[in-house]
Amino acid sequence: MIAFIVRRLVSTVVVMAIVAIIVFLLLRLAPGDPVAIVVGDNASPDQITAVRQRLGLDDPLIVQFFRWAGRVLVGDLGISIFSNEPVSKLIAQRLEPTLSLAVTTIILAVVLAVTAGVLAAWKVGTWLDRTVMALSVASFSVPVFVVGYILIYVFAIQLRWLPVQGYQPIADGVVEWFRHLVLPSIALGLAYVALIARITRTAMLDVLAEDYIRTAHAKGVATGPVLMKHALKNAGVPIVTVIGIGVALLIGGVVITETVFNIPGIGRLVVDAIQYRDYPIIQGVMLLFSGVYVIVNLIVDLTYTLLDPRIRT
Amino acid sequence: MATDRRKFLKGTAATAAFTAAPGVITARAQATKKDTVKAVLHGDLKVFDPIWTTANMTGNHGLLIYDTLFGKDEKGVPHPQMVEKYGISDDKKTYTFQLRDGLKFHDGQDVTSADCVASIRRWAARDAAAQHMFRRVSDTRIKDDKTFEIVLSEPYGLVIDALGKMETNLPVMMRKKDAETDPNQQVTNKIGSGPFKFNETDTRAGQRYVYDRNPDYKARSEAASGFSGGKVAHLERVIIENLADQQTALAALKAGEIDFYETPPLDLLDQLEGDKNIKLEVLNKGGNVGMCRLNWLHPPFDNVHARQAMLHLIKQEDILQAAFGNPTYFKGCGSLFGCSGNMQSDVNTEWFKGGQNIEKAKELFKKAGYDGRPVTVLQATNIGFMNNAALLIAQWLQQAGIKVKLEASDWGGVVTRRAVKKPPNEGGWNIFITWGSGEGFNNPVSFLAHTANGGKGWFGWPKDDLHEKLKDEWAAAPTLEERQAIARKMQDNAWNFVPMAVLGQWAPPVSYRSNIQGFLPIPAHVAFWNVKKA
Repeated sequence: MIAFIVRRLVSTVVVMAIVAIIVFLLLRLAPGDPVAIVVGDNASPDQITAVRQRLGLDDPLIVQFFRWAGRVLVGDLGISIFSNEPVSKLIAQRLEPTLSLAVTTIILAVVLAVTAGVLAAWKVGTWLDRTVMALSVASFSVPVFVVGYILIYVFAIQLRWLPVQGYQPIADGVVEWFRHLVLPSIALGLAYVALIARITRTAMLDVLAEDYIRTAHAKGVATGPVLMKHALKNAGVPIVTVIGIGVALLIGGVVITETVFNIPGIGRLVVDAIQYRDYPIIQGVMLLFSGVYVIVNLIVDLTYTLLDPRIRT
Repeated sequence: MATDRRKFLKGTAATAAFTAAPGVITARAQATKKDTVKAVLHGDLKVFDPIWTTANMTGNHGLLIYDTLFGKDEKGVPHPQMVEKYGISDDKKTYTFQLRDGLKFHDGQDVTSADCVASIRRWAARDAAAQHMFRRVSDTRIKDDKTFEIVLSEPYGLVIDALGKMETNLPVMMRKKDAETDPNQQVTNKIGSGPFKFNETDTRAGQRYVYDRNPDYKARSEAASGFSGGKVAHLERVIIENLADQQTALAALKAGEIDFYETPPLDLLDQLEGDKNIKLEVLNKGGNVGMCRLNWLHPPFDNVHARQAMLHLIKQEDILQAAFGNPTYFKGCGSLFGCSGNMQSDVNTEWFKGGQNIEKAKELFKKAGYDGRPVTVLQATNIGFMNNAALLIAQWLQQAGIKVKLEASDWGGVVTRRAVKKPPNEGGWNIFITWGSGEGFNNPVSFLAHTANGGKGWFGWPKDDLHEKLKDEWAAAPTLEERQAIARKMQDNAWNFVPMAVLGQWAPPVSYRSNIQGFLPIPAHVAFWNVKKA
């Protein structure tokens, strides 16, 4: 088990190194030059050269890469070209809103989706099953930003129950923090609810057809324990897999949701940075996202071993 | 009493629901405080040095925390602002300025002549209008703590006008130690002497920028007008929110979560027009003037006939309609100087009055010896006006028999590529679309797009010696009437050699909550002094 974890952690480092190289090269090969944006319209060629030199962007790509990579290895993600702030500080400032949004979304999605999926499988072929599946298709088909605008219109503009936009740090009060996360979490979570609910239903249907489930019923075990204890645990591997995929997809969804709901998280940070070609921020955030992605996959793999002891061997 | 797990869970859930329900049900969008205005402007604040950059967001920041020696009123007439009085020598070569009493920076230090001279020198290193003036400046000298002089080598009619300019780069007065920062580097301190102080503690970069009233600011006694008069801060706090999504910004304004939204999209204005809690007002009367920059370095636009063809090819109304929809806020314009300022005229605008004429354009392209090579049009897809204009121009070019290659990218990509002087097939370009402020267009000297000095000039690099000579004459002219006469000559000449094509003018409204009053009509910026909230 420990050897497995160590192997996966080593592969994590390799994956992140590859991501670092790809992100670095993609940024440099894409059109756009931060110096042209920094210096403004009336800069002379000498001024442009001076700024380029100061930022080290006139060095060969290989030199720029190893300079950046060397700093990253000692935990320094560099300095933002535009704000002159350390990238690690900018990311740290944005971490709480993004984590809050991601965690509330995942909790919401998992609780709703697993419940709906189990119920749909239990009542397969009934109106309940069909309703869950129809809502799943609808939720999965509508883009996050459309759901976001509809939620804002109904719950913030018309009913005035919840705020349109913004974020309140948890330190300023849990209630306000939560109120600002309700709509974004629903908007972001609906697609994952649909995805997880469908997989849960399918996995549960397979398991519910097994002999041991019939045996459990024959022995007089109540429906609840049969569903939750006997069936759900054995249907867990595909469900955990899709939750893992969902977390990874969440990274993309967070970028859109943070923009629509004006949440000052890492998604907004990277969108702004891309517009201004702020290389150090984009590289830092991409590295962070890839690290999260790889670690989530590692956790998913480890969870398999808890759910299915056969995988441990 | 025994409690099993099920009872415990039920009890917990019920308690949580009971506690949270009133909060959720009675929750209302939080209105902003009475002495605070929350504003969403047109972008994010990336640079804090208004002398260093042309970004209007930085100009807004500059107007909040800095002050200027002179300020123009809403008619464009400059008046003393930080200056108490000034004099001009008989030979019109020496300008002497005396500062007002009681001017203090936010760190408590007095504003002195040394600060002002250093700031003017910094501005001269960055700004086109200042550089034009400084070609005639032989000295900037300090007489005493409150008095300094600008000494010219020859008379120049625009000294006061330039010191009071309303377009970026703004001639704000910084502390000497800040102003002496290398002009190639930004000043990152936010210490000015203006009506508001920057609040570092509550500011979150990329999210919100907070400004508090400066209690030590000594406002002038005159009524506020444009950048001039008393800059009285009635608000205790101004918060500039970085809210990127237009639809969300509109919803936030309607819900009262923000008080001011500078750039409501014109196609969504109907959402605001019927709301009694929202006002729409055009503050920037000059608005913006669109331009189609033509690259003089490569065929076909190295030939004057091809450039003239573009004047006949473009139908401004179609571009404006596609971009802005509502004709209340746009108009066609044939003047080189835009159609809102005092330099506009209709001299030599038959091409405009005659409307679009594709056949004429075709004939002129033929006369230019068009050889069938594709014309590369840079298309900034993330900015509606630029995207629409590029597509329409490409279509019209094709109708005139010109091959077109649209190069799509975001604006950041265009900004980089427009600086490339190589031929289009080696990474260069033939056409890109942009705009300038109406105020900027009205000034032949300070507006970079009016340069016609070849490779040293602005993107497109037009060259015409007469145009440059007339610009110098315009700057030296002592009266408005003389400047207007020279402007007419410039326009007559310009629409013959065609430095660029213009794409019309638009002046969109700002939107704000109806309990706010006192926003001043100024070009390209938003002033928060004089603003009151009921």
